[in-house]
Amino acid sequence: MSAPANATVADVAAGDAIRSLDPSIRAVWAIKMAAFSMFLFLPALFYDLTHLFSPDSWLPFGVLSGTVLVGGVLYCVAWPRLRYRAWGFVLRPEELYMEHGVLQHVRTIVPLRRIQHVDVSQDLIEREFALGRLVVHTAGSRSSDVVIPGLPLSEAETIRDKIKRFILEDPLTEEPV
Amino acid sequence: MPPSSPAEPNSDGRQDPPPVPDRPADDAEADPTDAAEDAAATTLGAVREPQRLHPLTLLLRVGTSLPALVIILLPILRNPGSTENVTSLVLGALYGVFALPAILLQYWRFSYRITPKQIVIQSGVFNRKNRSIPIERVQNIQIERNLVARLFGIAKVKLETAGSTSTEGSLEYVHQDEARKIRQVVRSFQRDAEGSDAAAANADAEDAADRDTLLDMPLRRVLLSGAFRFSLLYLAVIFTVLELFNPEALVERVLRARGRMEWVSEIVFSHPALAILATVGAAIILGWLSGIGVHVARYYNFRLWLDGDKLRKRHGLFTVTEGTIPLDKVQALILRTNPFMRAFGWYELKVQTIGLDVEEQGHRVIAPFAGAERILELARQVRSVQLPESFTRVSRLTIRRRFIRYTAVLAALLLPAVYFWPAGWLHLGGVVLPWWGFGLVPFILGWAVLQYRNHMYASGEDGFYIRRGVLSHYLWILPVEKFHVFHATASIFQRRLGLKTLFVDTAGAATFEYPEVIDVPAAEADAQFDTLYRRFRRLYRGRVEAATGAPDTRLAPDERPHLPVDEAPE
Repeated sequence: MSAPANATVADVAAGDAIRSLDPSIRAVWAIKMAAFSMFLFLPALFYDLTHLFSPDSWLPFGVLSGTVLVGGVLYCVAWPRLRYRAWGFVLRPEELYMEHGVLQHVRTIVPLRRIQHVDVSQDLIEREFALGRLVVHTAGSRSSDVVIPGLPLSEAETIRDKIKRFILEDPLTEEPV
Repeated sequence: MPPSSPAEPNSDGRQDPPPVPDRPADDAEADPTDAAEDAAATTLGAVREPQRLHPLTLLLRVGTSLPALVIILLPILRNPGSTENVTSLVLGALYGVFALPAILLQYWRFSYRITPKQIVIQSGVFNRKNRSIPIERVQNIQIERNLVARLFGIAKVKLETAGSTSTEGSLEYVHQDEARKIRQVVRSFQRDAEGSDAAAANADAEDAADRDTLLDMPLRRVLLSGAFRFSLLYLAVIFTVLELFNPEALVERVLRARGRMEWVSEIVFSHPALAILATVGAAIILGWLSGIGVHVARYYNFRLWLDGDKLRKRHGLFTVTEGTIPLDKVQALILRTNPFMRAFGWYELKVQTIGLDVEEQGHRVIAPFAGAERILELARQVRSVQLPESFTRVSRLTIRRRFIRYTAVLAALLLPAVYFWPAGWLHLGGVVLPWWGFGLVPFILGWAVLQYRNHMYASGEDGFYIRRGVLSHYLWILPVEKFHVFHATASIFQRRLGLKTLFVDTAGAATFEYPEVIDVPAAEADAQFDTLYRRFRRLYRGRVEAATGAPDTRLAPDERPHLPVDEAPE
């Protein structure tokens, strides 16, 4: 191998510093998770209320909905932070490197010349925060779309254009697959 | 309204290979598209005029729609003369009014033509579809002839391209000579596009290409290979038979034959264990026999040969399939065997492709059954394969992880059963039955050990080799130039033990059995991750340099696609 042996991890992780996402993505995630928690909390509350006066109630009032509420709040507060801390990515001359995942740590390299096309997408909540999501499509089967969430929209678009230019200007004219 | 008249004049012109041009009158607006192309289209075999399918298609389509009619008319057939038959009569009439003209219309509105640049298929009655497939995108032209098609001398042509998950265009049916001609014409256009005229000249005799036969399977070999297979197809047959014949009548008949069957039922009632054994035995024998049957039907007369830079194969007893695999579209090689086959030294070789035959899920068998030497020789024909001498095992901790995981799953299944087991149900040895399920735990341990022993990897200069599987042993050979995306993952449990999972994604990789290296020591996994990517990058840097004569200057620091803003936190 041409590269020195001590450059193993360093070579792929070095170069440009690994970047975080836009901090406001935490708020976006928190809102989405809050909506999800609500989805669980309302049925629990409904159950508690309907069994308020029944003599053979299974649990004392508020235990079920309270548990769900506390769990949901913790989830909404802690999880976005953890997820944000786990996310990092960097666009390098020939590849897109990223690492993410709270429970499951994932390191991914997407070689730029393997990218079939690039999208920037944005949902309703992300639009409020002017964030965009970079979606990179490859021909790989399990990683057919690789997503980087929570980039400032303009930045996501710049990255998209850079990747596009890289692909278009590739001197190798072979077919992608 | 069925305009049946235009269907008639076609029927004569279709039979002979140089098709007489006849165009459906309504497609005039779509035709003068490639006027410039027309000059070049005088090359041999260009079919500029839209062609219709073989008229026998009509007959076959009507034939395949008949079962629906039978179902509609079933009440009448059952008890003719009943007053309730009006609805099914009306339905039958509607069928006659709509379905048959629909078939006719579909046929009439379907046309295809082949120009040196593209294949154009127009179809649809109300919704016109005009699909054009660029010639150079066509990866595979598969000719399929099932039993009926063979009787009539017609064939189905499937056009497959990369990037689509299903067949891009299908001509169902054309005359068999026409099918062969289509393939030849498309091939020659592809070669023309590549500019290798010399190759085009000698390759027209490709159907007679006996010279480069790579694998020929005589019937004995196919039978032998079937003996190592197992199929549950017979279950389907049994159920179909039960559907067709009234099961009650069947039981009745068996009971009536009691005089002769007495001894059987006696044994069954007196020795239930024996009966179970006999049933299992019968199931195994039936499965084995139907395995042979399925295998012979599929691989009868299997032949694989090399045609320039493409592999071609032909096989099948009832349905004869002919397919092409361009060598440079092979994404990975997969060697498969099972413990029995391995004991006798037999292997199966598949290639992973993208956008090709959907039924085989992107994996195409190029050698159903051959010895190890032969298989490796074949693999080398496809790619330069340097099978590494030594494979690296994954971490031994994988046994622990797998054992704990499978035991947890078992417990999650059994404990609720223990809890909810009704008091009156079967108890064994003083405890309820589900407790005995934990008797499987030693077997789980054995399974985990087997999984560990069969899971290893090796990374060579030319590719990444992964072995995996207990009941089916797999060896994946992923060439460096076909690497796509690199992953190294560590779940929360793996992190406690310092392990990682390594996965190199390739195009068209299966989503179920895929080449993942599970539970590699973390440092090793990261090093391997980097090594694999660096090999990939070096290969392509070399190619860029070879193509342009200079290193890729876009990689210079100031040309790099840097991020626009670097004032981001951290």
